[in-house]
Amino acid sequence: MGTLFVAGMNHRSAPIEVREQLALEEDKLRGILADLTDRGLCAEVMILSTCNRVEVYGLADVPGEARAAAFRGLGAARGVSLQQIETLLYSKTEEEAVLHAFRVAASLDSMIVGEPQILGQVKDAFALAQSCRTVGPALHALMTQAFSVAKRIRTDTEVGRHAVSASYAAVELARKIFGSLEGKAVLLVGAGEMGELAARHLQEHGAMPVYVANRTWSRAQDLAHTLSGTAVPYERFAATMAEVDVVITTTAAPEPIVRAQDVERALHSRRHRPLFFIDLAVPRNVEPAVNDLEDAFCYDVDDLRLVVEANLRERQKEAQRAEAVVEREVAKFVVRLRDLEVVPTIVSLRDKLEAIRRGELDKALSRLPAASDETRKVMEALSQAIVNKVLHAPIVKLKNSSREGHHARFTELISELFGLKRSPQEREP
Amino acid sequence: MNAVLYDVALTGYIIATASALGYLLGRREGLWRFTILVTQAGWMVHTLALVVRGVELRRFPLTTLAETVSVVIWVAVLLEVWAERAYRVKVLGAFVLPVVLVLGLALPTGLRVLVLAPAISSVWIKVHVALALIGLAALVLNFAGAVMYLLQERQLKGKRPGNVYYRLPSLETLDRLSYRTLTLGFPFLTAGLLLGVFSAGKAWGSPFAFDPLALFSSFMWVVYAATLSGRAVGRWRGRRAAYFAIAGFCALLLMLGAGVMLQGRHGS
Repeated sequence: MGTLFVAGMNHRSAPIEVREQLALEEDKLRGILADLTDRGLCAEVMILSTCNRVEVYGLADVPGEARAAAFRGLGAARGVSLQQIETLLYSKTEEEAVLHAFRVAASLDSMIVGEPQILGQVKDAFALAQSCRTVGPALHALMTQAFSVAKRIRTDTEVGRHAVSASYAAVELARKIFGSLEGKAVLLVGAGEMGELAARHLQEHGAMPVYVANRTWSRAQDLAHTLSGTAVPYERFAATMAEVDVVITTTAAPEPIVRAQDVERALHSRRHRPLFFIDLAVPRNVEPAVNDLEDAFCYDVDDLRLVVEANLRERQKEAQRAEAVVEREVAKFVVRLRDLEVVPTIVSLRDKLEAIRRGELDKALSRLPAASDETRKVMEALSQAIVNKVLHAPIVKLKNSSREGHHARFTELISELFGLKRSPQEREP
Repeated sequence: MNAVLYDVALTGYIIATASALGYLLGRREGLWRFTILVTQAGWMVHTLALVVRGVELRRFPLTTLAETVSVVIWVAVLLEVWAERAYRVKVLGAFVLPVVLVLGLALPTGLRVLVLAPAISSVWIKVHVALALIGLAALVLNFAGAVMYLLQERQLKGKRPGNVYYRLPSLETLDRLSYRTLTLGFPFLTAGLLLGVFSAGKAWGSPFAFDPLALFSSFMWVVYAATLSGRAVGRWRGRRAAYFAIAGFCALLLMLGAGVMLQGRHGS
């Protein structure tokens, strides 16, 4: 029946220089998938190729051979030999392979735990393999379960919440202060790239209007244009603070340009609605004393970095909860998978006996043209009962043996005894 | 019977409080659902206890201080369940339920009957008590909102996000919650107190004589009135409003304490 396996490299096992050599375009991957199944090395196979990992998932009689062939193929395109990368590869089979697949899909194996892209990438890899007809019941079951586990972890834990970039952390902080950012006004002072990015993130969450101030009037106008905002004269930015909710500063000024006394005046005239300063400049643009003012909050780059670190720790904590979920799911899935391996044998055994029963029943009934409906019914029931009684013991035995992991002997034996044709590897329609 | 029901309800609140605090610290969604379930179950048993007591005594259970506090708790839990949904503050229970619990556990000390002169046991007295109670219950939530606001503000000012930062909603939401509960509670409180003054005037001829409960109530009312007008003018919001909400709640506790300890027109 073959062994479920995964083999590959990720951001921990291999440096980027190697991973990028193996990142191939779709056409080449199709070729490799077809090659692996055509040569009978894999009964089922799919390849996941992202910038952080290159992995082969499949079902093979000899996983080692399949792995060697797959990575020889992957390396061939850029002239990388198997020997060069062999030591960077990891391999997992059966239960461990299932665990790995679930962890990858749920983004627990990612460089940034909880990053959302990986699930889509796994889905794409699966779709590619499906279109190449290299997906069978085992991979199909594995991946659909992996997707549902990943989805559950996303909704039940906070592993994907909390920003991991400074500009996004700033948005989250703003939301912790203002609730919704809908209609909150933003003032961007200076033309730093990070400031522009933060302003854009705020806009995506509904913040508007955006004012831009810069020592150079034309640059203020340009930036205002790209952000669909309004340029304000640099001299007026302190006065504008009274009308906005978030102030982003990114100027190269050597001294703080936002003074506590100006902020105090602004707060007074805005009746102490909160004012949030995101100071992305080094040296800082906002006087530290500003944060001590009531209803003013000021975060500089170091503060944002600390928030991001705290967020990452928070994600790690959630990841531990997610790992527990994954472990439970793996245990459940392995039982299902083993059942799956004996199902074809059970089905063909049933079909075989059913065919015999039908044939013999028809023969008998043809010899009894005068038989009443009742007689027919009794004979039908009788033959069915015999078949079911005969089938009962072998089916139970097969299922038990599969759960104990030594079903191969029994499937073979039963196929031999009953003269069943070994069904060719079933493929997904 | 009524005492047993009351104990069951109180046990429910104890369990709910523990699980709400557990949710605040450990963040298991299951704990949150459990908290809501136990809170609601406790509240229903509490309702039953109040009804049974009313039927047994053939009167509204609003005469003794214990009964009064019991009804304050009953309304407060109801408001908590509502506000938790309306403001999507899943941790609200962790801040309201402990207060409810402290009041509930303090009940036995206040079992004294407020003996009122027969002359004043009019229907207006009952309305006076009922209105004041709804007001007080809303102010329990006002207090919880203020505490949460100050905690979240500290986290944001301190720039070191901890458990509380991740759990509590935005400052804006918390400020709105405090404001809403204040505007909800204050009119009830005012109407209740005015009715009290009016009834006292009718019963004793003079509305103003020394009575500890009345005195501390007036003090409490002044604090809340100041908070509300400060907010209305638009100068006091956020932290300042939160401080006043907490001061108001201290006055509220003083008032209840005075009702238990001191003699006056409300009872002996």
